[in-house]
Amino acid sequence: MPTAMRSKGFIAIALLPALLLFLIFVIIPVFWSAYYGFFSWKGFGDATFIGLDNYIEMFKDPIFWRALRNNLILVVSSIVGQVPIALILAIVLFKNSFFSRFIRSAVFMPMVLSTVVVGLIWGYIYHPQFGIANYVLEMLGLDSWTRAWLSDPKVNMLAISIPINWANVGPYLVIFIAALQNISPEIHDAAKIDGSTGWNKLMQITLPMIWSTVVVTIVLCISGSLKAFDHVIVMTGGGPAQSTELLATYMYNSTFSVYRYGYGSAVSTMIMIVSAILIALNYFATRRKSS
Amino acid sequence: MNLQTTGTENASGKRVIMKGLSGFVKLLLMVYAILTLYPLYWLFTSAFKSNQDFFTNPYGLPKEWMTENIFRAWELGNMGRAMINSTVVTITAVVLTILLSVLAAYVLSRFEFRFKKLVVVLFTTGLLIPIHSTLVPLFIMMKNIGLLDTYGALILPYTAFELPIAIFLAMAYMSSIPREIEEAAMIDGSGWWGIFSRMILPLCTPIVATISILAFLRFWNDFSFALVFINTQALKTLPLSLSLFSDGFGTDYALTMGAMAIAVIPTIVAYLILQEQIMKGMVAGSIKG
Amino acid sequence: MRPKRKIGLVLLMMTLVLAACGGGQSKEQAGGNEGDQEKVKLTIWHNFAGDDLRAKSVRSFIDQFAQDHPEVTLDAQAIPPDGYRQRLSTVAAANEMPDVFFVYAGSQSSELHQAKLLQPITEVLDAHSDWKDKFLPGAFDPYEFEEGQIYSAPLGMSATSILYYNKALFDKHNVKVPTTWEEMMAAVKTFNDNGITPIALGNKAPWVAQSTIIGSIADRVTGTEWFKNAAAQQGAKFTDPEFIEALGYFKELVDNKAFQEGANSIDNTQAEQYFIQGNAAMMISGAWTLTNLAASSSEEQMKDIEVTTLPTIPGGKGEAGTISGGAGGGLALSSRTEGKAKELALELIYAVSGPEAQKAIAESNSMVMYDTEIDESKVTSLYYKAFNLVKTTGITPVYDAYLSAEAAEVINNGLQEIMMGGPVEGVAQKLQDAQARSATP
Repeated sequence: MPTAMRSKGFIAIALLPALLLFLIFVIIPVFWSAYYGFFSWKGFGDATFIGLDNYIEMFKDPIFWRALRNNLILVVSSIVGQVPIALILAIVLFKNSFFSRFIRSAVFMPMVLSTVVVGLIWGYIYHPQFGIANYVLEMLGLDSWTRAWLSDPKVNMLAISIPINWANVGPYLVIFIAALQNISPEIHDAAKIDGSTGWNKLMQITLPMIWSTVVVTIVLCISGSLKAFDHVIVMTGGGPAQSTELLATYMYNSTFSVYRYGYGSAVSTMIMIVSAILIALNYFATRRKSS
Repeated sequence: MNLQTTGTENASGKRVIMKGLSGFVKLLLMVYAILTLYPLYWLFTSAFKSNQDFFTNPYGLPKEWMTENIFRAWELGNMGRAMINSTVVTITAVVLTILLSVLAAYVLSRFEFRFKKLVVVLFTTGLLIPIHSTLVPLFIMMKNIGLLDTYGALILPYTAFELPIAIFLAMAYMSSIPREIEEAAMIDGSGWWGIFSRMILPLCTPIVATISILAFLRFWNDFSFALVFINTQALKTLPLSLSLFSDGFGTDYALTMGAMAIAVIPTIVAYLILQEQIMKGMVAGSIKG
Repeated sequence: MRPKRKIGLVLLMMTLVLAACGGGQSKEQAGGNEGDQEKVKLTIWHNFAGDDLRAKSVRSFIDQFAQDHPEVTLDAQAIPPDGYRQRLSTVAAANEMPDVFFVYAGSQSSELHQAKLLQPITEVLDAHSDWKDKFLPGAFDPYEFEEGQIYSAPLGMSATSILYYNKALFDKHNVKVPTTWEEMMAAVKTFNDNGITPIALGNKAPWVAQSTIIGSIADRVTGTEWFKNAAAQQGAKFTDPEFIEALGYFKELVDNKAFQEGANSIDNTQAEQYFIQGNAAMMISGAWTLTNLAASSSEEQMKDIEVTTLPTIPGGKGEAGTISGGAGGGLALSSRTEGKAKELALELIYAVSGPEAQKAIAESNSMVMYDTEIDESKVTSLYYKAFNLVKTTGITPVYDAYLSAEAAEVINNGLQEIMMGGPVEGVAQKLQDAQARSATP
């Protein structure tokens, strides 16, 4: 048995490189940027310390709240969309046959494409004049449902969340497949003997076995959705009239288009605070469930 | 006799239903696959269209196959050099990410020590960071330590930013590897390093492959860091070549699509290779059970 | 023994990685110092990165300069336009500006000037007075931050409100090309009745409607004087009735369905294509459309397209028959470049924005703020028509060249809001607030 001393040495050497790299390149810049959040600064030239003014302004700005709401729409849609779809696909495709390999690869493909291509394609689907979405609705006799999907503020956030979910199922599928690998075949066999099949087996055996992975994917959904940026920039740029603004696009514009670096930093600190709160909530919610 | 026949008839009827159901599921899956593969097809056909063709005929095959799009994009975007740079940066960063994250995850999932909670929380915050806000601090910092405008200016931040996700995935995965395996190994007299490299790492193949895929895509496609931290033309990576042909007033789609079609091929290859590795866990799984 | 060996292994790996990372750097430095010690190092950043004629000719002038000056080690960087602002802002934060860099007219250059990152290039302009004198009136307006001190020479002109129309469609439906607002609304009605979009607009990037439509319409209504006062927040406000009236005309277009549905979700390029393919009768757009169409459309498609100015507005205080426009971006000089490097940097600016360069840019289907003759055979027929139109018309200010970055953002979003049915008064109020905030420091 390794002695305690040897364990300590192992812990230190195995953990320190990752920790150091992370502290230097992630944590320090984050605090540095949070510090800028207390200044009125254009990003260059002189900076003036203004305490919490940036935060006060942010809370008073309706656009901030709208962006937050939009981000929450993405969080919810990814948790009820991406995760279950990916999980079901993972279970159905958990075979090494040519067919399931093919489908798995196909599902992953939107992820390898640049967001520009994804944005262009969905731009065509939603195109107000010759879009496929409207065409299909007309074919089905639902003419009254047709609309300019990306510019109608009533539906555009929903319209945007579809491609984002569509593009992101792939990674979750891969994560779940990897997790399923870890359930030993004996457990499957045991389940067969018990007569557990389908839904029962999923709820009683599979899900508990990979529960820690499910929790991680929900965390990834929350953090990913609150940082979401690329797809929206490509599809709507946060418009029209900031109706699809997200916290990250709001921050980006403040920082680089309007030259309010301090304010942008405050927004980005707020993104982290909001995600931290949601992740903490998720932690408590999922812990109760698993125990 | 009679009873028996009805029995088999019942069973075969059930089988037919099951077969029909699985056929239906397969059909659904095929439709879904087509929906996800179509953009790829669209990208590769668009890459061979002229600008005019791209607009007048967005869905069909090119009227005339403009192979020159590919060559011109390759040359103008200096994509040969960029491809080498992207490969060096991405692969180094992926290897580094795997090494550091799997080791760290192992420690965090198996050992109890002071500050462990703090370390876990710290890495969790790493998941939450919008990268754009860190650009200026990172730029100033790397300028001061002389790292700016080197491969390291991309490799180290890429790795650092990918560590949280990688560590969490690996931790979640390891939590379902039974501890009995290590206990058995310890009785055999293996040290921690031995256990880690001979037992844990091979068992982790699926998750290592998963982390690699995610990291590969992230690094290969990153625009912001590559834009800001690299000056020298000779060190520039692929995403910069992809956005050369758009100027805010208009976009040269023929060249943009050509460049994107080139850039996407390595990611597809990487995915297909790594996907096989994920499924290798199946073999490992049956041994370990 | 065992763990120690492993420690060594991990440390070795780390060292190797760091060495690999550092390797790139030392090689780079070696590359930089190579050759003659007396060589002057100059860096130029620009966003002429693409494959269009203009970008190519600008790059060729930079290359030419490098060839003509063997004493200079020139590091020329073509940065993708999508990331140019971000890149420049980041290095500005660290005070690491290149010697010579492209700046946009308007808030970007004035912010950089306020942060004391620029120095004037007046001396090179004075040294080549024949060159300086041939710039069109107003060319230096956005760059004259102090009396008599000019900080950049524009490389282009943004004529932003040309009325493009499809003559074949006008003839077919027997519509008069509008010269008054009334005729404009009549044309809108006729085309709508015939199932043709009256005006193509791609306002996904929200500056489009502001830059191409509101600047010109508002100028017709309020006059230029009023706008300059309102921008300076001296004696005029954006909540004044004349500006509300101007926004009202834009709203009238929206309410009469002058633009195709969903104009806020399609981009400028798509709108241009929609127009050139004959789906829309008109398009109000800038000179960039000429450049784009030259690259993506055939002469066949372009032969039906004519250009003119926006119609007059009854009772307006502004001059009729004008086009909004102004100096485009140009090259600026970092305040940190001194001595020999500065001399050469100024020469580089002259080489890239001098008379020959201006002519070459004008001949690549892209307008300049410079009096030059162009060879008709080198450009598209549509560009040639527009070039001659712009030569003869008066130029009025583009809104975002005079507004603060924040106020420009507000009016951009405000126009999208009006297109979504929002009230004009609210937009005017928000614009006024934003401009007031930045005008009073």
